[in-house]
Amino acid sequence: MRKLVEFIRAVYVAVLFVLLELTALSYYARSTAYTEARLLVQSNRIVGGLHQAVSGVGNFFSLGKKNRQLTQRIAQLEEQLARYQEAATEVALQEELRNLGSSQYRMMAAAVVGNSVGRSRNYITLNRGRGDGVLSGMAVTTPEGAIAGYVVDCSERYAVAISILNSSFRASGTIEGGNHYGSLSWDGTSPHHILLEELPKYAEPKPGDRIVTTGFESYFPKGLLIGTVEEAQLDAVGTSYTVRIRLAADLNTMSNLVLIENLDQGEIDNLQHSEAIRELEMN
Amino acid sequence: MHRTPSYILLFIVMALLQIFLFNNLAISTFFCPLVYLTFLVLLPLESTPILMLGLGLLMGIVMDATMGIAGINTIATLPVAFLRPNIIRLLSARDDMRDDGLPSPERMGKQLFWSYVVVMILLHHTLFFSLEALSWYHLPRTLLRILLSSAGTLLIIGFTERLFTLKLSSSSQML
Repeated sequence: MRKLVEFIRAVYVAVLFVLLELTALSYYARSTAYTEARLLVQSNRIVGGLHQAVSGVGNFFSLGKKNRQLTQRIAQLEEQLARYQEAATEVALQEELRNLGSSQYRMMAAAVVGNSVGRSRNYITLNRGRGDGVLSGMAVTTPEGAIAGYVVDCSERYAVAISILNSSFRASGTIEGGNHYGSLSWDGTSPHHILLEELPKYAEPKPGDRIVTTGFESYFPKGLLIGTVEEAQLDAVGTSYTVRIRLAADLNTMSNLVLIENLDQGEIDNLQHSEAIRELEMN
Repeated sequence: MHRTPSYILLFIVMALLQIFLFNNLAISTFFCPLVYLTFLVLLPLESTPILMLGLGLLMGIVMDATMGIAGINTIATLPVAFLRPNIIRLLSARDDMRDDGLPSPERMGKQLFWSYVVVMILLHHTLFFSLEALSWYHLPRTLLRILLSSAGTLLIIGFTERLFTLKLSSSSQML
């Protein structure tokens, strides 16, 4: 008996270590981008306020730059507005206004309270949550309209978005004005680049071409800017391109973002899961 | 036991540094030091194995929750905490080391201290970054991440060790 107690005393730390390590490993093995976002949302309940204070200090020092960017954006919009005012006849203007009134999208500004670019799965934490009307599946873009990610989970006051710089990020992209599309994914090499793969050879991407979203995914409206083509490589069999895209959004330095909600999402979801479709899938 | 408050402070400072400074540091994808390891490296040499394991687990879980990583920090931190006594024993050729007090170049000898720190960092960072990459496809890139990040952590540990030793020795003089 005494020997048994001694034996247990000698090995219990090692046994405990093995047990804990196995638990952690199995938890990690079962984890997905969703569970990680969930984790961030939970921990933000505790450290969210601190995060906000710290990023507030950081933002203070970049106020000058942010101001310049905003002014630039205003100038751009002013220019567009002037163009509309000049060109639009009464009828065209009416048409424009009608579209505005029934817009499919609702937008909301949010500040970044946490953001990483250095890991292989990066997330953006935002200071708007369910209480502000944030839902998972909303698109996240920079104020200039370039995509940065989409919301995966939110608490009452915070939301966590999967960053475009996340190995689990999936979306599709197309050359602006073209109708061939490929799939977007991040290879983890550079925070300024993303890959567009399986783009058909007929698309003929040229350096400098603008790549935009297709609107196939529920979370991104059609035509949002992703970036510009930096280089395109035809694969070995010559049927599709792998395109390296320079991201339009600078994920290192963003501090304010825009959330976009697709108001028709519920309707589209209902249709996609309707009886008729399910019957088709069954057969 | 008079050191306990200092260690609680060290835990908090290191956790905050990691969460608010180094996790948001966007210099390069290859440079992300995991400075919270400093806390485990500087724990007193006489810490019992179960205490080491418990503190390693605590730090790992705190880091996982705040970084939004499901378990890698804990997976990497536990072995480091568990193996620390063995690492020190393996590295020290002689047995005349007083096994109390906090690890420092003065107490352990320069060579032993630094090799101990480097082995701890490399073990931890190798586990962390290879689990994060989760494939050998990016091996050269993963190796570079391990090396650059380790160098960053090493710097911080060296710096913190100086400060912490100074603070502890001045506070024990006061007592």
